[in-house]
Amino acid sequence: MRIVVCVKQVPGTNQVYLDPETRSIIREARHAVLNPYDAFAVAWAAALGKQHGWETLALSMGIPAVDSLLRDALCRGIDRAVLLTDRLFAGADTWATANTLAAAVRKLGGASLILCGKMAIDGDTAQTGPELAECLGYAVVTDVTEIQALSGEQVQVCRNTGDGMQQLQVQLPAVLTVAKDSCETPMPSIAGLARGAGRPLACWSAADLGADPGLIGKNGSPTRVVRTETPPLGKQSRPLAGTVEQQAAALEKIIREIVS
Amino acid sequence: MPQNLIRALTPDQADYLRDESRLNGQAEWIAFPETEQQLREILSSCHQAGRPVTVQGARTGIAAAAVPMGGVVLSLTRLNRVRGMKRNAAGHYVLCAEPGVILSRLRKQIEDKHFAVSDWDEPARQVFEQFRRDRAFFFTPDPTEATASLGGMVACNASGARSFRYGPVRRHIQGLRVVLADGQTLDLERGREKADGRTLTLRTEQGGQLRIDLPTYTMPQVKSAAGYYAADGMDAVDLFIGSDGTLGVVSQIDLVLQPLPDLLWGVTCFFGEEEQAWQFTEQVRADSGTELVALEYFDSQALALLARYKASHPAFTRLGLPQRPFGAAITCEFQGEREAQLWDATEHLGRRMEQVGASPEDSWVARTAFDRDRLLFFRHAAPECVNLEIDRNRQQEPSLTKLGTDMSVPDDKLQAVMRLYREDLKASGLPYAIWGHIGANHVHVNLLPRNTGEYETGKGLYRAWANQIIAWGGSVSAEHGIGKLKTDYLALMFGEPGLADMRRVKKTCDPRFLLGRGNLFAPPEGRGSE
Ligand SMILES: Cc1cc2nc3c(=O)[nH]c(=O)nc-3n(C[C@H](O)[C@H](O)[C@H](O)COP(=O)(O)OP(=O)(O)OC[C@H]3O[C@@H](n4cnc5c(N)ncnc54)[C@H](O)[C@@H]3O)c2cc1C
Repeated sequence: MRIVVCVKQVPGTNQVYLDPETRSIIREARHAVLNPYDAFAVAWAAALGKQHGWETLALSMGIPAVDSLLRDALCRGIDRAVLLTDRLFAGADTWATANTLAAAVRKLGGASLILCGKMAIDGDTAQTGPELAECLGYAVVTDVTEIQALSGEQVQVCRNTGDGMQQLQVQLPAVLTVAKDSCETPMPSIAGLARGAGRPLACWSAADLGADPGLIGKNGSPTRVVRTETPPLGKQSRPLAGTVEQQAAALEKIIREIVS
Repeated sequence: MPQNLIRALTPDQADYLRDESRLNGQAEWIAFPETEQQLREILSSCHQAGRPVTVQGARTGIAAAAVPMGGVVLSLTRLNRVRGMKRNAAGHYVLCAEPGVILSRLRKQIEDKHFAVSDWDEPARQVFEQFRRDRAFFFTPDPTEATASLGGMVACNASGARSFRYGPVRRHIQGLRVVLADGQTLDLERGREKADGRTLTLRTEQGGQLRIDLPTYTMPQVKSAAGYYAADGMDAVDLFIGSDGTLGVVSQIDLVLQPLPDLLWGVTCFFGEEEQAWQFTEQVRADSGTELVALEYFDSQALALLARYKASHPAFTRLGLPQRPFGAAITCEFQGEREAQLWDATEHLGRRMEQVGASPEDSWVARTAFDRDRLLFFRHAAPECVNLEIDRNRQQEPSLTKLGTDMSVPDDKLQAVMRLYREDLKASGLPYAIWGHIGANHVHVNLLPRNTGEYETGKGLYRAWANQIIAWGGSVSAEHGIGKLKTDYLALMFGEPGLADMRRVKKTCDPRFLLGRGNLFAPPEGRGSE
């Protein structure tokens, strides 16, 4: 039985730079961090792996420097890690990324459970997890706030529907995308660091995956960013006059205008 | 009196009568200068009228130094611009800032490399251009309270966790502009105005001359913010740093920036017994290289208090705590340029833990900004819980205040002082919590009296400890300053001759004893507000 946890490196500052030509985010190693949602996926994977004696594996597609994020996952109790890195993977949208991750999972011989963060904070799409499930033909539950029970056949989870909580029992194999603060994320110990340093971290290229070049990287990406723009930041002030009731009514009208 | 600059203090300005010591003072007037020129006018008019002046920065001080005892409150909150940038002889970037600049804001500006440079002169802008393209830098002093003002930090010679590696504020000041009590100004640059032996001769920009006979005492060889700094051939800036708002008003601070290391790790180690943590400190400190920047301590009572508040108070539910209770914890901060160097340093800590009988499994390693923030939250939570605890006790007995010590001892007295605290406290039955900068043999003992009887017991303990610590060559205030609450201890530390020396310095700089009355020592008799 195996749990795969997918992690992504994102810019650590809120100053994100777009490449003016490709209109994609410029990624550099310095100031890059683990996507905050993924930290919870890693913590869930490490805890469930330990509890059930399942193998855990961290998977990431990214530039070579991402190996430090994977090493960090190993220090937090994940058993082994695979970095998918190749120039051919560059420029991937969520679909091409999901195809690449899926190819890696197939090469591993599949997984019982795949955990992803609910979304990455740079692109904000929340698509990669569900698309990965689609590529592999696995079940998927998004925005999971609690993993309540796990057996060899199924997993019971609680998810946030936006206006309530939903409890689901899902057949394995399944992909779960987990919410922020869905569990504690313990820091590694000094001893954990030493263990993590000794765990295997492999690097796979497109050729290693035997991936179809039409499904990965820029070629495999149906999305085209045609134009990006910064929404104009408008500020207006409108004086409210009259009695408290009149002012409240005027305010209500303005709020309705904005939200409509 | 410049009417528009000095106004009557109104009831809604009662906040200006206290600081974080929670002592309440009183004052008749208040002034908010916006330029050095206004500051000079205010001071010279108070000088002529013989009105006492209490300088205030951000009022985060905990020794009541900014609490007025009558007269005029001089708030520097509006003197808060960063005026320029230059390089010193060693090539370091130096920022020229007004005293009301708040530390947290300055940090953000340095981090973002974003300053309002439009009114800087051309040379300053050129240096800023180099700075902008250069690597990242930082101002190292880090008092836990980041809303402190630069002027307050200079006046108290503030420190923080990283002072273990970088030293207190004093080490990072290139120059000061000071307005004296009579409105004259001094422009001081480190290395330029130096004492001849223990005599310092200064010329004001208005042509006046000050001949200051510096104190003859020897400063303690420990971290200290107690009393005027004095040494043979010392720099004039060092006299004003740590002078608790009594010698002059600092109107500009030239502060030195240091390169920000690429990597910063925090490692918290947990111990079953407090003794293990003390031994660990001595060992780690002895073999530390340049990568160790801070060593912070939490005793069993502090950890228990945190656990109690995590369980009972919503503000602390997210506080990370170890799975089971421990006797003590030490947080070590490392910095460096290479991962490998910090891995080695961390592994070495693990071996040191084993040597004192602790397990490297019982530790947290924070290498990401997210995890480092959690360690910071942990460290901030300790004083916050203590304040809440005191507030709760005050509901029963409003006259109670926190009794918090700020004393340091030489390296070889660390274990002795920790044992002294613990034995006395256990015997007294007083609730307490200890934490702080153990790397500098400087922990804060926080006594949490529940009634006036316990309060008196606490004061007795404090005094007894001060006597012992002075005998060991320690300091009665390592970083908070003496203010109004610790004047007795300053007298114990330097004795009557030492106080007389300080009064003499004060008299030369402020002949009418108007600035910061009640700080450090009592004003001479019969010189109340006129
Ligand atoms: C929770 C908490 C944690 C703290 N932790 C630390 C710590 O780790 N290390 C540490 O060192 N301190 C610490 N402090 C104490 C405090 O933050 C510092 O002492 C700080 O330096 C005071 O700055 P301020 O601007 O608030 O000064 P204020 O309290 O306003 O004034 C302090 C003194 O400075 C004088 N002063 C202010 N500005 C000037 C000026 N321009 N010219 C001349 N005199 C002036 C005042 O007259 C007064 O004597 C802590 C405080 C709190 C509440």
